[in-house]
Amino acid sequence: MERKKVLLSEDEMPRQWYNVLADIKMNPPLGPDGKPVSPDMLAPVFPMNIIEQEVSSQRWIDIPEEVLGILAIWRPSPLIRATALEKALGTPARIYYKYEGVSPPGSHKPNTAVPQAYYNKKFGIQRLTTETGAGQWGSALAFACAQFGLECKVFMVRISFDQKPYRKTMMQTWGASCVASPSMETKAGRDILAKTPDTPGSLGIAISEAVEAAVSDSSGKTRYSLGSVLNHVMLHQTIIGLEAKKQLEKIGEYPDVVVGCAGGGSNFAGLAFPFVYDKINGKKIDIHPVEPAACPTLTKGPFAYDHGDTAGYTPLLAMHSLGHTFVPPPMHAGGLRYHGMAPTVSQLAVEGLLEPKAYGQIDTFEAGLLLARTEGVIPAPETNHALACVVDLARKAKEEGKQKVILFNWSGHGLIDLGSYEKYLAGQIKDFEFPAKDIEEAEKILQQYPKPQILKCR
Amino acid sequence: MTSAQNPLVRRCPRLGGPVAFSYCLRCEVEQPCFKIVDCWWETFDIVQYLRDHLPEDRFDRLMNARPKAKITSLVEVIEQARQRVRD
Repeated sequence: MERKKVLLSEDEMPRQWYNVLADIKMNPPLGPDGKPVSPDMLAPVFPMNIIEQEVSSQRWIDIPEEVLGILAIWRPSPLIRATALEKALGTPARIYYKYEGVSPPGSHKPNTAVPQAYYNKKFGIQRLTTETGAGQWGSALAFACAQFGLECKVFMVRISFDQKPYRKTMMQTWGASCVASPSMETKAGRDILAKTPDTPGSLGIAISEAVEAAVSDSSGKTRYSLGSVLNHVMLHQTIIGLEAKKQLEKIGEYPDVVVGCAGGGSNFAGLAFPFVYDKINGKKIDIHPVEPAACPTLTKGPFAYDHGDTAGYTPLLAMHSLGHTFVPPPMHAGGLRYHGMAPTVSQLAVEGLLEPKAYGQIDTFEAGLLLARTEGVIPAPETNHALACVVDLARKAKEEGKQKVILFNWSGHGLIDLGSYEKYLAGQIKDFEFPAKDIEEAEKILQQYPKPQILKCR
Repeated sequence: MTSAQNPLVRRCPRLGGPVAFSYCLRCEVEQPCFKIVDCWWETFDIVQYLRDHLPEDRFDRLMNARPKAKITSLVEVIEQARQRVRD
């Protein structure tokens, strides 16, 4: 039988995280006044030990024994060779993935939820608040808080709260309190509900509520926790890539290509940053963050270059508008312009250490279904972006007859997030109801605003 | 009624679940989501739609938005929350 999995023992778990800030130069994050953000500005929501990690430039940071003890519930996660996918594609490429769906909440998120809960507990905090959209992060933090005996309050965007009752149940099972946002528990929530009682909520509102719940605790025993984007989150996730390196070494492999989906950047960074370190030190390796294909036209001007955020962390983008006719400039694909992207990921793209890729939603779901039907696991919908890229690379390897080693991060399973698959497989499974006026409006929009022709520059 | 009958439903990359276009138009306290163009351009001419349906100043603001870095917006949210608590 061909070897399918590479496992590490608990003794072989990495004892240190890798901090990419030791190896890249970053502009300091700016506050609303345009001046660099100081640690005391974050102190109302984060404990000082986490703020220290956020700004640290120390390359290797010890993972506390207490954290390793909890991570050992599911770590080291397996490195799996996607033999069935290789066969289905007829590719000479050898494809490996780190499977993060083995964690109790089913995703990579607890890799940072656990240390965050630990550092808060150590700082004397008794209660954590957060917001959640799909519920992945909320359930990861609920799990972590239960492990350290912390209270956990999750503000879940109302529309998701109604769509995903099982996520809410997961959080409650781990002892967290999960409320629909906007809620009556904060002034931010009450103000919104007074104006729009039937609002489906938004992430912005949920963040406002979670932060308010933290800063309004006069005892000082409540803090806020964030599951993506920030430096300390990326740091905690690097255990994924550090394990992967050890596992590949065991079988005498090293990747030619590393792939991860990049929403907020944390699962991509977790796998990729340890390999970025190798690349900085001379290894030849292609590293692809994969994001949704973005609209190629955003400005009314004839042609504009812009940074994706005020601080100029994101790559320069060419943005072009020709009204009904879109002309995507060649550099458009994979701009990483979404402002929710981790600044470290954007900076590495600017420096040419990463080559971003972008895929449309149809490609991503096709890839997700292919993986589910070959490797057996139903991927989390966001993982599908990475899968689309992997399938693409594997097909190219076949065309070129190259035996490439491809490594990607399977960031989680999709068993509690099947709504998107339901939509993709529409017609076979019933979905939630929409008002008739929405359907009529949709038909009108599609008739009046047909998809523009996409012209290629070359 | 199923989502198959409503072509204007897609997975929201921020929320991680399916949302109707009508949600994207109003989710930011009756304002369109800042990602609305990136999410819908593959389906229909969203830019022209917004040009036709939003007041000019709001359309311009949306199209030319320069989103803030996460840490910057977080510091803003902290200050707003402290202000609400003080009030």
